[in-house]
Amino acid sequence: MISRKVDFLRELGTIGMGHATTALSEMLQGKLLRLEVPDVRILYFEELAEYVGGLDQVVAGVFIQISGDVSGHMAFILPVESAAVLIRLLVGDGQEHGVFDELGRSAIAELGNIMVTSYLNALAALTNLVMKPSIPGLAVDMAGAVWESILAGAQVDDEVTLIRTEFFAEGVAIHGNIIFLPGEDEFRKIADVLGLGAV
Amino acid sequence: MPKTVLITDDTAFMRMTLKNVIQKNGYVVVGEAADGEEAVAQYLELRPDLVTMDITMPKMDGITAIKEIMKHDPNARIIVCSAMGQKPMVIEALNAGAKDFLVKPFDADRVIEALRKAAP
Repeated sequence: MISRKVDFLRELGTIGMGHATTALSEMLQGKLLRLEVPDVRILYFEELAEYVGGLDQVVAGVFIQISGDVSGHMAFILPVESAAVLIRLLVGDGQEHGVFDELGRSAIAELGNIMVTSYLNALAALTNLVMKPSIPGLAVDMAGAVWESILAGAQVDDEVTLIRTEFFAEGVAIHGNIIFLPGEDEFRKIADVLGLGAV
Repeated sequence: MPKTVLITDDTAFMRMTLKNVIQKNGYVVVGEAADGEEAVAQYLELRPDLVTMDITMPKMDGITAIKEIMKHDPNARIIVCSAMGQKPMVIEALNAGAKDFLVKPFDADRVIEALRKAAP
């Protein structure tokens, strides 16, 4: 991939994820979260699940479709163990909730929704383009099956360009990542608005 | 008399979080709606002093629900609580009749401040 395009996509990932983790940090009473440098890749559809943690790993995935001036898909994916820690911190009613009980699932869906939407809000503010999130879907399953849910019904070509940004929390075992999958034309639209021309 | 509130959000977790914050501050939560349709129906039935409204919800979104409620009661006091903080959406909600717009995640003080301002 052309390095300028990679740079541009990395920057989008950093801005979006910066806002998403700020939102998460606020929900966790100011816990410090560190971001990795976003990874930009073009992958074949079949390689996706493997890339995000292995086909057999059990993950929780929150997925959202984007419409408006820019369309695409986003997913918040985290290992099921991290999801359990987050549920304990977020719900905090003294009872045990897991990713399979209603309140636990609801907390992870809302957390994913807030993070993904904060990511989109940041990109929307930067570009003046409207990016409307759909109602979030949630799947807790092996990574391969979660990817199938995420991309069900999506018009995804054989090759997918994605921006993945990973975060880690200090002092607690939480990590996860947000993946942004806009179509090829959508990248161009964002680049045009930002005056970057052909990337 | 304490003011009454109807909470609207499609996730049980967010309804619970809002309910805790609101009740701790002397308000009475009289209803919980999981989508726009339920919010309109419960508003007409319960006539709460205040409504919190999510935007992205199944069946009927929050903007449509605000318009519906305002049609029945132009004095309704609705506060949006949504993750979707993009300017055009905020403007649309305020034009529809919302009194305030809180972007999730919000802190408890900000929620109470918005409720107090909307219904002093």
